[in-house]
Amino acid sequence: MTHPPAHGGAEPGRYEIRLHGQLDQRWSDWFEGFTLTNESDGTTTLAGPEIDQAALHGLLRRVGDLGLTLISLNVTNPRKEESHDEPTP
Amino acid sequence: MRVLATKLFVPPPRVQAIARPRLIRKLDDGATAGRKLTLISAPAGFGKTTVLSEWIAASRITDPDLRVGWLSLEDSDNDPARFLTYLVAAMDASTALSSDPTLSIDSTMTSLINEVAQRSGRMLMVLDDFQLIENAAVRDAVTFLLDHTPANLHLAIASRSDPLLPVARLRARGELTELRAADLRFTTQEAAEFLTAATGLALTPGDVAALEARTEGWIAGLQLAALSLRERTDASEFIAAFTGSNRFVIDYLIEEVLDQATLEVRDFLCQTAILDRLSGPLCDAVTGGSGSTEMLAALERANLFVVPLDDQRQWYRYHHLFADVLQVRLLAHGIDHANELHSRASEWFEHNGAPEEAVRHALAGSDFARAARVIESTVPAVRKSRQDTTLLRWLALLPQTIIDRRPVLRVFSAWSSLVAGDIAAVEPQLASAEQQLVSEADGPDHESEAGEELDSLPVTIAMYRAAIAMASGDILAIRTHAQRALDLAAPDDYLGRGGSAGMLGLAAWSGGDLEGGAHAFRESSSYLRKAGNLLDALSTTMVVGDMLLGLGRLSEAQLGYERALLEADGHPPTADLHAAVSEIFLQRGQLEAAADHLNAAEALGASAFSHEHRYRWSSGMARLRKSEGDLDAALAHLIEAQMQYRRGFFPDARPLEAMKARIWITQGRLSDAGTWIAEQGLKSTDELTYLTEFGHLTLARWLLAQKTPESLDEALALLARLAQAADLAGRDGSLIEIFVLQSLALQSQQVSALAPLERALALAEPEGITQIFLDEGEPMLQLLRDAAGAGIRPEFVRTLSRALRATDESGPASPMADSLSDRELHVLRLLATGLSGPEIAHALHVSLNTMRTHTKHIFLKLEVNDRATAVRRAESLGLI
Repeated sequence: MTHPPAHGGAEPGRYEIRLHGQLDQRWSDWFEGFTLTNESDGTTTLAGPEIDQAALHGLLRRVGDLGLTLISLNVTNPRKEESHDEPTP
Repeated sequence: MRVLATKLFVPPPRVQAIARPRLIRKLDDGATAGRKLTLISAPAGFGKTTVLSEWIAASRITDPDLRVGWLSLEDSDNDPARFLTYLVAAMDASTALSSDPTLSIDSTMTSLINEVAQRSGRMLMVLDDFQLIENAAVRDAVTFLLDHTPANLHLAIASRSDPLLPVARLRARGELTELRAADLRFTTQEAAEFLTAATGLALTPGDVAALEARTEGWIAGLQLAALSLRERTDASEFIAAFTGSNRFVIDYLIEEVLDQATLEVRDFLCQTAILDRLSGPLCDAVTGGSGSTEMLAALERANLFVVPLDDQRQWYRYHHLFADVLQVRLLAHGIDHANELHSRASEWFEHNGAPEEAVRHALAGSDFARAARVIESTVPAVRKSRQDTTLLRWLALLPQTIIDRRPVLRVFSAWSSLVAGDIAAVEPQLASAEQQLVSEADGPDHESEAGEELDSLPVTIAMYRAAIAMASGDILAIRTHAQRALDLAAPDDYLGRGGSAGMLGLAAWSGGDLEGGAHAFRESSSYLRKAGNLLDALSTTMVVGDMLLGLGRLSEAQLGYERALLEADGHPPTADLHAAVSEIFLQRGQLEAAADHLNAAEALGASAFSHEHRYRWSSGMARLRKSEGDLDAALAHLIEAQMQYRRGFFPDARPLEAMKARIWITQGRLSDAGTWIAEQGLKSTDELTYLTEFGHLTLARWLLAQKTPESLDEALALLARLAQAADLAGRDGSLIEIFVLQSLALQSQQVSALAPLERALALAEPEGITQIFLDEGEPMLQLLRDAAGAGIRPEFVRTLSRALRATDESGPASPMADSLSDRELHVLRLLATGLSGPEIAHALHVSLNTMRTHTKHIFLKLEVNDRATAVRRAESLGLI
């Protein structure tokens, strides 16, 4: 992310993670109870409750451990109007 | 600590693997060019481990003497003590290194590196699954290894993500070979070769290209695709369906493979997916079935996910990627089922002598009661091997309600608060645990198991209380709790006794009772020795040495150091001992011997020192430079020492800041010294304690240097009180300094200073303590002259004057000087006194003329023209 979250990262936030390939809902428990949605472009969107930075890093590690390709990570804080949409490298 | 051989097993090349000469060549080139590190960084399933095992097999053919070390890392290796034990074992180094848990990380690494460097052949050391390492101390140890890699060692690290090591630096220096996902993925040609070999099918180039595109050359994907294709007659149909699907490759393909497998195999795979390592008996226990040994062998033959971990085919593991997917399928059956499997695994490990894995599974299965019980039983062993990190991690995972029912864990939790610096949280936990122990009359009110740990808990509680008292400087409370711990400790509880005796020693020391402190530490040392902890036993030498110096008993301290140096035999704490013993030689004015010891300490390298005693080398150098008269260098070393100083539990009886202030006073920087004295709030009317004695003596020196009538009076009043306190406590070392300062003050007041000087000389002479006199220069020489005239301790006074003159005038010795006759020497000694010529003649029972002849010869031989110069010359030549 090029902009740090307004709350500085100490407070929990809501995130949306997009992965290459389609994973079904069975993986939900594996990814901290996040909901998995298969998109029409062959990607999967993970969305879930507010989590803190440590949980987010844990989640990303699980993505990496499975050899999944990470496409983007977005902050979707409802309190914030602007939406960040920077793909992570 | 038990070392699992399966973690050190070098995986043999896979039977079905295809040769990948382009990668092997790249790795070979890097190692041949003398690069330090090979880094294989790619996500799971890119064949990192496989390419390393291929490389090892190929390298062993070209270099049959190549040593190979392999360490498959796990989450639990985030404990530095555990990691080092495994690293030492993997590098096949002497077990003595890992069996001494008291060594610091750096000193273990240094010894390990030295041992490897001395070997004749090359060594390749592999750290696999490095992404699991998050502990900074473990990463530092690996960085240390990279910074000090011997020429015959090459390190290879495989990781799913780039490790937090100085990779960029190595890359910039051309000391790094890298393989990344783009290098590892199968090319179309490799994919074709692999698929043909693995499936036995004649796939069309179009099929191969489609599979390669769908998997993006990802090896795990291609392997699974090959597995799915093996039994099929409709290969093209399968490929079309697979490539047409968007589903995650692994998910899709494992489903395919499992669909083809029998129900028995499917269940087995899912149920045992929770295990990090698998054996027949363990899998039987987890699945509740039998025949797991045969099942594992069959899975290996069918190339279904399992990797052997030894040559005997006793232990296997699943490929990590597949284990994850299998566990997701298991979770679909509900978390309770998974937890039940973890509990079974935990039970099996507990009964098969692997408590750590038993704890891990109990925690993973949320079976906290079981976890707590096993943790409690393993506390002594884990603490003995200093795997504190492991224990702290476990404790953090247990619910508070469980900890509260077990006093052993509660006291351990108190300890974790103590080391975290959360002092306020310690006592409530100790008090609750103690309460549970006391109310045991009508049956235990807790769940801790009976045993050694529970029996010694009151000792442990008293010790922690003493430690809290230590942190708040409450000497009386330290003594009370430490004495209670000593009284409660069983006769054979040597660690407990050693610890509490040490605490008593610290209390005595802090209170200025050096005699009692030294005695307690000697006792502590002998208990520690009986407990098998030689390093800590020998490390008490420095503590006892400091106290003996305060008591003015240098010979006794020196003997202690000499014995300890012999016993340490080059191992820790040798560097600490060398640095500390230098002060004894310095106090005796033997600067060369002091320098020898400081050099010997330095030669062992910075990592050879312990953290607590690291500053001693720098403070020793400061004292040496000061005695040599190089005050600026002395100050520089003191600043260095301040940066290295760790407060620890030891009383700071001679603060480095005060030593700096003393140098400022010698340099005439009285206002700098005055500022420091004001900052410390030091006053001549303060109540005197041992811990402020050194500061107050510094204040006395500062007052002396002012040389006003008022300041001299103030100094003398302070010194008189200091003398009384030191005398009461028998601190002869302190008394010598006090008397020296008194005599200098009286001298400045131009009254007779001989009384205190004589007392200082009387205390110093038997132990050969000279430097404290020599540091005072010209004024002391004058005092010594008076003492010589008064016939006080003539031999010692002559030695001191000789040394003082030698530092003042280092002119060439007169060639004639040696030829002075006994008679002439006698005359010379009398010339140094205040006696007149006739009086000297009378004393010698000779005529005045004869006396003058002697005098003329003396002047001639000393190349001088008058009596005063002759005396100075004689003194500097050591003749009188």
